[in-house]
Amino acid sequence: MTSLVTARHVSKRFGSVRAVDDVSFEIEKGKIVGLIGPNGAGKTTLLKAVLGLTDCEGELSVLGLDPFRQRKELMQNICFIADVAVLPRWIRVNQLLDFVGRTHPNFSRARADKLLAETKVRPRAKVRELSKGMVTQLHLAIIMSIDAKLLVLDEPTLGLDIIFRKEFYANLLNDYFDEERTILVTTHQVEEIERLLTDVMFINDGRILLDATMDSLSERYVQLLASGEKAAAARKLGPIAENELFGKSVLLFEGRGRDELTPFGELHTPSVADLFVAKVKGARA
Amino acid sequence: MIAHQLTLIRREAWEHPAIWVTPMVTAVVVALLTLTGQVSVSAFGEAIDLAIVGAQNVDEGHRKAVLTGVLLVVTSVFAVGAWIVMVFYSLDALYAERKDKSILFWRSLPITDAETVLSKLLTALIVVPLVTLVVTFATHLVVMLLTSIWIKVQGGSAMHLLWAPAPLADVWASCLVFALAMPLWLAPLVGWFLFVSAFTKRSPFLTGFLPLIVLPLLEKMLVGTNLFAEAIFARSVQPPLFDFGELEDLEAQVQSMGAAGNISLFEQIDLLRFLASPSLWAGLVVCGLFAAAAIYVRRYRDESY
Repeated sequence: MTSLVTARHVSKRFGSVRAVDDVSFEIEKGKIVGLIGPNGAGKTTLLKAVLGLTDCEGELSVLGLDPFRQRKELMQNICFIADVAVLPRWIRVNQLLDFVGRTHPNFSRARADKLLAETKVRPRAKVRELSKGMVTQLHLAIIMSIDAKLLVLDEPTLGLDIIFRKEFYANLLNDYFDEERTILVTTHQVEEIERLLTDVMFINDGRILLDATMDSLSERYVQLLASGEKAAAARKLGPIAENELFGKSVLLFEGRGRDELTPFGELHTPSVADLFVAKVKGARA
Repeated sequence: MIAHQLTLIRREAWEHPAIWVTPMVTAVVVALLTLTGQVSVSAFGEAIDLAIVGAQNVDEGHRKAVLTGVLLVVTSVFAVGAWIVMVFYSLDALYAERKDKSILFWRSLPITDAETVLSKLLTALIVVPLVTLVVTFATHLVVMLLTSIWIKVQGGSAMHLLWAPAPLADVWASCLVFALAMPLWLAPLVGWFLFVSAFTKRSPFLTGFLPLIVLPLLEKMLVGTNLFAEAIFARSVQPPLFDFGELEDLEAQVQSMGAAGNISLFEQIDLLRFLASPSLWAGLVVCGLFAAAAIYVRRYRDESY
């Protein structure tokens, strides 16, 4: 079985609000999946369901387990970083490593010590004495020292400056990720992780708008930069989105061949951010 | 399982230094009070000489009784301190982790909610009393040591007056039983406080104590009975641990035994009666129910992060 996460018709209601609305998807081993959506789209709720922090309707299986009912087993093979600083502030770094070492069967203390030696985080320091960036480094070092099958990151770099953000993803990719591991990540800063992702999922109003591999995106979506009459002609081919840039029209096409569009102007592969905006606007229209 | 519990309990000691700082501070205060007391009475030179002579001449039974009383007073200060720590600790134990969001980190580790809540219950009911007990014993020795020096300076015999008659084994054995039994007796209140700390959105202290005051008042006004008030009162001061009724009678009992010349605190403890008391077991069941409710809340309440 290569499918780590299987969701079939998963829904989660808060009163009359459907935070997650009949969602189905699969995540396979060895992928880095970006879950992209605006605030309140249901990203965090979906992640919480995957992590067994909240119950949901429908069928959800993570590593072959029911995440809500088999949390302890699940947590031996899943790690997560939430979008808020959750490390206890009163604890000392070495106490924290001690604690995780004694409670997590898949944690390597040696590896954590090695990773932290490369940072400014001192073992005797209390978490409250560390800067925001250092707390994230510490959390990342702990997580990267756990031999987990699935890593879930919910806005892991929120509030960090650009240097820490770059470093965070570089470390993750170079020192952690391999074909045995799988990462599910949400973020607002799509541009920063775009090139790491193997797969992308768009979510809006609790529904999945797009679920595709990054490779297939460049085949399925093309951005055309055209002006004047050529733009007007291209518009007849039914772009899914259009906007203006320096007096030219930027048209986004889905499922149109590049050969078909070449005569109208310059072709690009749209960025995930452009695609996301188009999809969300399209869904609202 | 046990290794996990020890790790979890050690974490509680890291997070709540009050568990050991409170008895340590109490010890320092008791030692300072002993010293100031000795220094200030030293002004009454002649009276002290007379007192020491008098003390040397009364029989050992009386000296034992007085020493038992002194050690008990010291112990009771620590017992009150331990109870305050237990209350504040259990009100904070499952609340602080929600307030600072660290619950999300703890819950990202392969530890069940039952294990976590159990570790907090064990910390309140066993670790707090035992840590306090060890410091209490040390303080007994410190007070006696300070007193020996003082007696020596005043020209008396510390061995004769203090160390020979001091009923340390008897008092310590009694304290140990008390430190193990009393928390079991208070367990339903601790369970309630733990549940409040898992459940309440704000101000665990108020949420914990208001019902203890309001419910008896309501009962009195609406039904006219005092069952609730009596139950809470009995829980606080009347453990069925001693032959005689209430804790407050302990001093009087010790005095009268001292007069009879054969004093033993330990003999006053009726462990069988305690263990056979239905109230004890009913209280433990209530504690268990509150703990289960706390586990349930920690496990199932979806607090959005």
